[in-house]
Amino acid sequence: MERYDLIVIGAGPAGLSAAIEAASAGMSVVVYDENSRPGGQLFKQIHKFFGSREHKAKERGFRIGEKLLAEANDLGVKVMLSSTVLGVYENREITVMTASQVNHVKASSIIIATGASENMLPFKGWTLPGVIGAGAAQTMMNLHGVRPGKRVLMIGSGNVGLVVGYQIMQAGCTLAAVVDASPTIGGYGVHAAKIARTGLPFYTSHTIKEAHGSDRVEAATIVEVDKSWNPVPGSEKRIEIDTICIAVGLKPMSQLAAMAGCVMEENPLKGGVVPVCDEFGETSLAGVFVAGDVAGIEEASSAMIQGKIAGAASALRMGCISEDIFKSKCTEYRRSLEQLREGMFAHKNRGKPKESTDEGFKLSQSLLQRGFVADVEISHYPGVPPAEKRARGIVPVIECTQNIPCDPCQDACRKGCIKVGTTITKLPEIDAAVECTGCGMCVVSCPGQAIFLINECVEGDFANVSIPYEFHPLPNKGDKGIALSRSGEYLGEAEVISVVTSRASDETSMLTMRVCGELSMKARFFRAN
Amino acid sequence: MTKKIIRSKSPNTFTELPDDWIIICRCEEITKGEIRRAVYEGMSTPNEIKRYLRAGMGLCQGQTCSHLIRFIVARELGIPALEVPAPTSRAPARPVEMGVLANDGLKLQAVVN
Repeated sequence: MERYDLIVIGAGPAGLSAAIEAASAGMSVVVYDENSRPGGQLFKQIHKFFGSREHKAKERGFRIGEKLLAEANDLGVKVMLSSTVLGVYENREITVMTASQVNHVKASSIIIATGASENMLPFKGWTLPGVIGAGAAQTMMNLHGVRPGKRVLMIGSGNVGLVVGYQIMQAGCTLAAVVDASPTIGGYGVHAAKIARTGLPFYTSHTIKEAHGSDRVEAATIVEVDKSWNPVPGSEKRIEIDTICIAVGLKPMSQLAAMAGCVMEENPLKGGVVPVCDEFGETSLAGVFVAGDVAGIEEASSAMIQGKIAGAASALRMGCISEDIFKSKCTEYRRSLEQLREGMFAHKNRGKPKESTDEGFKLSQSLLQRGFVADVEISHYPGVPPAEKRARGIVPVIECTQNIPCDPCQDACRKGCIKVGTTITKLPEIDAAVECTGCGMCVVSCPGQAIFLINECVEGDFANVSIPYEFHPLPNKGDKGIALSRSGEYLGEAEVISVVTSRASDETSMLTMRVCGELSMKARFFRAN
Repeated sequence: MTKKIIRSKSPNTFTELPDDWIIICRCEEITKGEIRRAVYEGMSTPNEIKRYLRAGMGLCQGQTCSHLIRFIVARELGIPALEVPAPTSRAPARPVEMGVLANDGLKLQAVVN
């Protein structure tokens, strides 16, 4: 029987963070993961994270995964891949299958960090080839370099649907539409805005009625639903697509905790059945902890902190750290975790009707329903400098209009032009007294791609608009094309003045286009001819 | 919710619905109609339906369909889905070949073709 101080089940953000924390305290740690690659969801996340620097904001998920893995290896953590934990038994004994062998392993503590699985939505034709989960499409594209299809319909407008939808575009597929039965878009407004500006239509208050095709998906019929989720007769719309991605939520994969004998509870806010646990993640079984999505669906940033807390708790249990050190660590970790659990999309604020931001700015209903802030609404927000300031020279325009915990823009500007403050859910403000140098660091740092540079002082009746750009092929200086509005509508001709990609920006390019002067506050996307 | 309470809420008559032919358990290809009929025949929890129909016993071990089965059962019985118990989880957590289970605890010296 193999013995370790700590067994971690799952080598994702929570599991690796827990292993690192425990190994730092001197514990012998083994991590088992059923996949052939470690990192859990992190290696599929090619987008930049939100939060603050301590939450690894502005870093792409897969880079965070690489760092965690390296740190774990440096600390001597044993990471066993293609190793499936089959069961968790009494006295913290597990059986784990690697290749054709089943081993029994025991530890003083077990941390279950097995993550979540995708929910499914049955509809007529859902068993046709071409219907897959959004997470599966993401794995296919980002890990294996395979396009799921040519024309994709996304069902579900939560963050998974929006982020994967954008990545589907980045992979060179066409995203035909995003559908959600709810009257409002479920995910962050900035994620919706990224795809709305390319012309992508959102169908809120719609659901999928049927997928058509003989050997595979060839088209889908969507239908409007009323307030009681009943289909509205006569509102059917047919969309020609070959792939349907389902993004209707995640549920914790808590089977190991249940079979171990943990007291379980069903909590819709957490996404399903989870073990009852204390603030350190310890379940009803002494020495058995949970961390990450398995304890309640949140996100990778929260999973990493929960992993650290559980890792520290297991170290305390073995006497590897003192009570005092444990208390101070946990106070710090909890503070960091609570920062992420604030804002418009926090669990505690779910279901509350939202009219305005915490500061009192009116929320854009157009953003909530159609994915873009309307032209008449945009000037109201604190990140948009007034017309007089815009007329004097180059300025940043921050179209960040919802309270979410995020502040990398604040650190991006060397001159201190952008202010968020210590409450990171606050909307960013532009300091009118600071002169912008036009370096563009803010543009490429914003994980929501919501920052633009506008220069209305250009010769002739022109304006230069600089946008963040993450598509291939990258346009070149001199390319002619068209400028699109926030809703993806044609505005006018545009010419590329420059395309800048710096190492500091980590593959986010800044594309500057010249448009008619009157379009400076409207043009937000470029499409080459 | 105890079995007694669930059984007291038995449904009245089975009527076919137009979407009964939709497959719910993809691994074992079990339709919504078969699950609804099972409820009328007295199976009122995912555990029972699993044993009765094999829904949830395939490769994915109910990861896709357990939730969907609970919703269907809840709808037939007219109770909130939260009151339908979740299926029991047992080892092995993933499908295992019998030959591999037989190797439990043995240290294999070489890979045998």
